[in-house]
Amino acid sequence: MSGPFRFDGGPIDRSVSLAFRFDGRSLSGHPGDTLASALLANGVRLVGRSFKYHRPRGVFTAGSEEPSALVELRGGAWREPNTRATVAELFDGLEAFSQNYRGSLRRDLLAVNDLLAPFLSAGFYYKTFMWPKSFWERVYEPVIRASAGLGRLSGEADPDSYDKGFLHCDLLIVGAGPAGLAAALAAGRSGARVILADEDFVMGGRLNAETHEVNGRSGADWAAEAVRELASMNRVRLLPRTTVTGAYDHGVYGALERRTDHLAAANGKPRQVLWRIYSKRAILAAGATERPIAFGGNDRPGVMLAGAVRAYANRFAVGAGQRVGLFTNNDDGWRTAADLARKGVEVAAIIDARDRESVAEVPGARIVMGGRVTATRGRHGLKEVALATGERIGLDCLAVSGGWNPNVHLTCHHGGKPVWRDGIAAFVPGDLPPGMTVAGAAGGAFTTAAALIEGHRAAVEALGELGLPADAGDAPGASDEAANVAPFWHVAESRGRAWLDLQNDVTVKDVVQAHGEGFRSVEHLKRYTTLGMATDQGKTANVGALAIMAEQTGRTIAETGTTMFRPPYTPVPIAAFAGRSRGRDFRPTRLTPSHDWAAERGAVFVEAGAWLRAQWFPRPGETYWRQSVDREVLQTRGSVGICDVTTLGKIDIQGRDAQEFLNRIYANGFATLAVGKVRYGLMLREDGIAYDDGTTARLGENHFVMTTTTVNAVLVFRNMEFARQCLWPGLDVHLISVTEQWAQFAVAGPNSRALLGKIVDPEHDISNEAFPFMACGEVGVCGGAPARLFRISFSGELAYELVVPARYGEALMEALMAAGEEFDAVAYGTEALGVMRIEKGHAAANELNGQTTARMLGMQRMVSKRKDCIGNILSERPEMNREDGLELVGFRPVNRSEELPSGAHFLSIGAEAAMANDEGWMTSVAWSPELGHSIGLGFIRNGHARIGETVRAWDGVRGRDVAVEIVSAHFLDPDGERLRG
Amino acid sequence: MIIDHPLLGPRDAQEFAILGDASLIDRPDWQAEDAAKLFHDYLHLRDNPAGEHRELWFHEQGDRSWLVVTRSTLTHEVLKVELARDVAIARGRDR
Amino acid sequence: MAETPLRARPALDGYNRTVGAVALAEVSGLALVSAAVPQGGDEAFAAALAEGLGASRPATGDSTAGDRHMARILGMQPDQLFILFESPDPDRPAESVLAALGGAAYVTDQTDSWAMLRIAGAGVRSALERICMLDLADEAFPEGRVARTVMEHLAVIILRDGADSFLLMSPRSSARSFLHAVELSVLNLSE
Repeated sequence: MSGPFRFDGGPIDRSVSLAFRFDGRSLSGHPGDTLASALLANGVRLVGRSFKYHRPRGVFTAGSEEPSALVELRGGAWREPNTRATVAELFDGLEAFSQNYRGSLRRDLLAVNDLLAPFLSAGFYYKTFMWPKSFWERVYEPVIRASAGLGRLSGEADPDSYDKGFLHCDLLIVGAGPAGLAAALAAGRSGARVILADEDFVMGGRLNAETHEVNGRSGADWAAEAVRELASMNRVRLLPRTTVTGAYDHGVYGALERRTDHLAAANGKPRQVLWRIYSKRAILAAGATERPIAFGGNDRPGVMLAGAVRAYANRFAVGAGQRVGLFTNNDDGWRTAADLARKGVEVAAIIDARDRESVAEVPGARIVMGGRVTATRGRHGLKEVALATGERIGLDCLAVSGGWNPNVHLTCHHGGKPVWRDGIAAFVPGDLPPGMTVAGAAGGAFTTAAALIEGHRAAVEALGELGLPADAGDAPGASDEAANVAPFWHVAESRGRAWLDLQNDVTVKDVVQAHGEGFRSVEHLKRYTTLGMATDQGKTANVGALAIMAEQTGRTIAETGTTMFRPPYTPVPIAAFAGRSRGRDFRPTRLTPSHDWAAERGAVFVEAGAWLRAQWFPRPGETYWRQSVDREVLQTRGSVGICDVTTLGKIDIQGRDAQEFLNRIYANGFATLAVGKVRYGLMLREDGIAYDDGTTARLGENHFVMTTTTVNAVLVFRNMEFARQCLWPGLDVHLISVTEQWAQFAVAGPNSRALLGKIVDPEHDISNEAFPFMACGEVGVCGGAPARLFRISFSGELAYELVVPARYGEALMEALMAAGEEFDAVAYGTEALGVMRIEKGHAAANELNGQTTARMLGMQRMVSKRKDCIGNILSERPEMNREDGLELVGFRPVNRSEELPSGAHFLSIGAEAAMANDEGWMTSVAWSPELGHSIGLGFIRNGHARIGETVRAWDGVRGRDVAVEIVSAHFLDPDGERLRG
Repeated sequence: MIIDHPLLGPRDAQEFAILGDASLIDRPDWQAEDAAKLFHDYLHLRDNPAGEHRELWFHEQGDRSWLVVTRSTLTHEVLKVELARDVAIARGRDR
Repeated sequence: MAETPLRARPALDGYNRTVGAVALAEVSGLALVSAAVPQGGDEAFAAALAEGLGASRPATGDSTAGDRHMARILGMQPDQLFILFESPDPDRPAESVLAALGGAAYVTDQTDSWAMLRIAGAGVRSALERICMLDLADEAFPEGRVARTVMEHLAVIILRDGADSFLLMSPRSSARSFLHAVELSVLNLSE
């Protein structure tokens, strides 16, 4: 032996030592160890304090069901609380800490809670901390938070990276124990695409923990050989360290692969990968979980599940104690005694709850049939157990087996309800998710032979259903071991508390009390006592608790039923769900063609959906944003400005019926638009509300190009495809997005034509006569580059939009600015764009907010009544056409030096600020550098008839109340002379 | 969720956008006597069946086909997938 | 590409990098034009495609090769195809296709709509399985198969153009985010 608790043999690699620290103490283990096995090998039994009562706790299991041995791993930003020591793979340099104590682990000051236990039973918080109400946040909650709980978060951002991925297979096999390996071999040898996932870092499941033989050799050796064979198959994917956490619709499974948790450092690679697995069929071979028996003091370090004690002995070559006892209600538990005895461990006592003859002779062991353990002793670990007979036996480890529960969890994720099977005293899967079958212990077939046969058969059947050839040979062979479980859940004669849920500190007494207070449903029991609601989800606790509830109510367990299992099977870090979507990678960024050009000139950018747009271009000496914006507006209106408007949605529309299609999509008529002309278009929703607007140009007889607002580009396209395919499938019309194809620049201002004269190739006449307002056409620029020119204006100035293939966008921006130098041309951003459109009275997103009718926008006459179009009929509803309805008009402050409040509501002078007096609201405001005062757009009742009237713009949120005058929405050039000039 | 596209085979629902009830194909006649009522019902009234439900899905990140997906709201089973254009034509919408 | 009066900027500035068993490179110089088939015009389109580009019409989700201009025809939608080719006039590829098809399709230039990135090498499927939800195994996605899908929130057209080679096309405006996503998938591999 290499220490008092470490045996010879086993798969542990003793040629390599791994140094690790626990609570600062230097210890060592070997490759193949978990933190739990290494702690036990070092004789460490006390590993933490419990959630509520701060009871000393140790290692209870050898798997992911562990409720008790929760520790913090690593340090600094990498600190991870509540990690199960039983699944933490040991590596050199691992730092682990116990958790949930004040002072020291051995002398936890908060252990006083345990003395208060009589007052802290089920429902205590609900009943006690109800009043005074104000105490909850200020007193109770902080005190409870400080004493209850588990580990500590690092408080820092997670320094690791995470990834996601997608896998496809014919057959997903969940669990690589005997059933899963037999299934994988059968399917893999037949040539199917197989994914075999197992949460452990060594595949083989219980074969590694037992001494069973398969095909005449040790189960562990057979498993290792099977894994080697599977690894050599290029259509089989092995996913060790991977937990299948959920079963979703249509054969989709979620799985978490831990890729670097077993390494000292991730070296920049993703720590975990969350896989979405698309399967045609799935076999659940998830095995079973042993359950304890509840008795007085059964939470003491040293009390462990019998199968776990066996796993530590056989797989990890670790003795969980030096003088071991067994408390069981089935034959399987006796294997622990036999295996330990074979390793030379003293087996002091076997207490079997069944009143029958002894199962086997174990030399030196006191055998008590029909026995009961009623109490345990030992401050930081087990020293002695007491039996119902009064007999006391000195032990440092008690292995407990109350039978095994099939791991049915994934079968419940579509609502399947497990059914009780008396023969094994356990729940087995009920209705299964489509495409899933269950094999081995997960389905209640507890022997190795049955697991191998069922796994093999399940794979052959799945391949048959898929029409794939099965060339699987025979199932591997093994013996059938007896179990003979007799239901036995708790020791009624217990002295002291008998524990059910070790993680949430729930006892038998709590369940009895819940029943006494009228709770009958297991779902209510769970929520009242918090049983099964900890991070382990009660894997070792639930069935025992509902058996006791059944006992109390006089029903059978089958009648009592189980709680619902939901994903995930074991905890999944939120970071894994987030994957890469953190910080700047949260979503993609869209950049305009002139983005780099603008960035080099110090532009300030604003997010518009996924787009980054230049908001303004500060010049040296400008310290306040409005200085830049005012300059951009004045220079544009005074001479010429250039703005990248590429973000507008652009849709190419072609077909014999393209014109008719547009006529039905837009509320206004498009039947008369001539080739070479552009028209403003207003789209309604089918309910008659204004939806989107833009311009559509006719480039040819059957060829149009539409622009949409930036935000609605995707939705407008979707709606138009719906109209094309579902509403009017007989029209010959075809759509394709060209948003990304073209770089589009607005060139606006009195000198825009002069500037473009230097850019547009001379063979194209862009004079006012040849290319008037609302003209469009294909041109060449800069000596032959392809371009389109539209004479449209959002600013109210003489203006154009010039469009080139996106690859030329940056160069065109440079060319425009160079050509504009003699005119003192200015680049302007979205703020100046917004100011100019408000000055001009153009509606934008603030006005088209989903509440707006064409009438409100002053466009009711545009809605043609002589044709069918989306929204036409319902736009005629009387409420939407009231004579005294809201109308879009302009506003200016009576005191010109005042700033208008955006979002303010309009009230008549003297009216009280109340909903009943609400007359509308201010949608957009801006400082007009041209007018020298604040201006606004807004909707107000009967607005056009009230021009000249003074009302209040009342903003209760910001405490503003401004007298405003109603004016035309067209602050500048109301007759449109500039844009036609 | 997987939608078995009639042209492309099984594709993840992440590639699709859902619109809602397939009855949205049956847009009323704008010149009908009671067009206002018909459009009101068309736009706002929906059955909410426990069981088979016909829904419109758009393969936006795919072949841009609108599909009529018949799905059980009880089991999530996808029972049938058709091209919405074919459904619309079968209902005479191309005339 | 022919001399053009304005400087053309590739969407990914000519990106080219090999990491381990995966090579990533921007593809530039290829033209991409969509061709929509008029209602009732399927036969005329098939004839024009054979005549003008020496190609047969692929089913949606498949592609075919033409014997002129190195053309590959991608079946994108039931009534819409993409033509990937070396355009004789790089500045007016739609007109080249229009000339080749003689009006049997409505054509639209898509060359600048999509950044094109070729990902190739032995590790290509391991990298793509981190961002691509499609099954890219030989039996499900053989050479010549094409699909529009979504990767890391972005639209992507994926064409398998070799045993271990895929051409990825994603919208130009978000090309840098797309490249970052693909590059990270390659860098994230443990190998």
